[in-house]
Amino acid sequence: MVTRNNDVTCTIKTVLLRVLLHRVWLLGALLLGLQACTSVVIDEDRRGTTDLQGDESVVVLGRRHASDYETEPELISCIGNTLAGGGRGINVISEDDFVDQLYPWFEPRTAPMKVKDLDRLLKQEYLAKAVEDYKVRYIIWVDGNTETTNSAGSIGCSIGTGGAGCFGFGTWDKESDYEVTVWDYKNLKTMGKISADASGTSYMPAVVIPIPIIARVQASACKGIGQQLRSFLQPEVASTGK
Amino acid sequence: MTHYLRPGIVLPTPLRIMVPALLLLLGGCTNTLVVQGEFPSPQVNQLPITLAVHYDEAFRGHTYEEKSKDRSKWVITSGPAQMQLFNRVLPQMFEAVVEVSEIPPAEAEVDLILAPAIKEFQYAVPRETKVNVFEVWIKFNMQVFDKNGELIADWILPAYGKTPTAFLKSKEEAMNEAVVVALRDIGASLSLGFTRVPEIRAWLEQHQRAML
Repeated sequence: MVTRNNDVTCTIKTVLLRVLLHRVWLLGALLLGLQACTSVVIDEDRRGTTDLQGDESVVVLGRRHASDYETEPELISCIGNTLAGGGRGINVISEDDFVDQLYPWFEPRTAPMKVKDLDRLLKQEYLAKAVEDYKVRYIIWVDGNTETTNSAGSIGCSIGTGGAGCFGFGTWDKESDYEVTVWDYKNLKTMGKISADASGTSYMPAVVIPIPIIARVQASACKGIGQQLRSFLQPEVASTGK
Repeated sequence: MTHYLRPGIVLPTPLRIMVPALLLLLGGCTNTLVVQGEFPSPQVNQLPITLAVHYDEAFRGHTYEEKSKDRSKWVITSGPAQMQLFNRVLPQMFEAVVEVSEIPPAEAEVDLILAPAIKEFQYAVPRETKVNVFEVWIKFNMQVFDKNGELIADWILPAYGKTPTAFLKSKEEAMNEAVVVALRDIGASLSLGFTRVPEIRAWLEQHQRAML
């Protein structure tokens, strides 16, 4: 009898555990779809009227000369994809292709820092030809990075014969700070600057399983910069809303 | 049969073998990297001279091994990638390039002989610098000889490369990128700066006058 009672108790416990785990997984799946909030501030300083023709291209390049940070290659390709996507997408030259084709003139230590330096470079025929082959009209420089500025909390995980699980709470802040400069290759002028500041706090509560609620700060900065650049380069499209 | 690690903790036989093995494995963990990369051809003015290049065995098979006990263990083989870079850059810089096994070369008619060597190789990982990038410094020693084997120029070319610790990228991949960026840097310095070395510039002017 005693043994049987134990079996019944075990069966009830198993059913309860299954229901509990099922709810935890449902809750986890629900929370996994959540994202923490980010705020993005975009400033634009336009210094001239842009005039991008249909067959002309732009190239988005990251500044890599700073000693304590590196403009992320994935942000550069994300901005390029945002510019190229959607209706009336802009022709965007890949950063890697452009830098390789013009090697060694756009390396971290050799890239021109001022638009007037382009004039000196383009006096060399093979460089001018390479840029003209790409039909580049605007060179877009992105300088900055995204970093974790603060973090707190702790999560402990343990494994035992009954299973594994985590418990705790973690949080961290991320901030993005980027400056975008648009050079007009045709007229050798700086057409304007766009700055983007984004921030957000991510959370990771852990009850059995850790549930990340991530603030996609870099992705938000990318989206903000990409959309602002599109309206900067194609003001007529932005005003008509096409 | 049970085994005791310390009083009160009983370990079954498989764990008794696995735990020390795992600890041994973690303790002796070494990051081994053979640098892989693609290097573009430089867009530079070609010099109308024939260059011989001499790679010694130390350069061909250059491997850096971290020996400090305070740092994570790295074994970085950059020799083949260096050869690949020089073999890509030099033919764009000079009208003709031949590889020679000795200085001066017995068999080839050349104008100059270049002998690159590595003097120093250093790296830093994010854990050491608190900056979220992998960094590599390489100090190259360039020696240029005339066709008779007389030393004309001897100078140091520093190279620097860094790459961010990208999400879902292994330490080896990040270090590989840093070395590739450093090698691209040396390719840039060499191809843009070769004719700016005073002794080389003087030799080139003299060579031009002799050709007239």
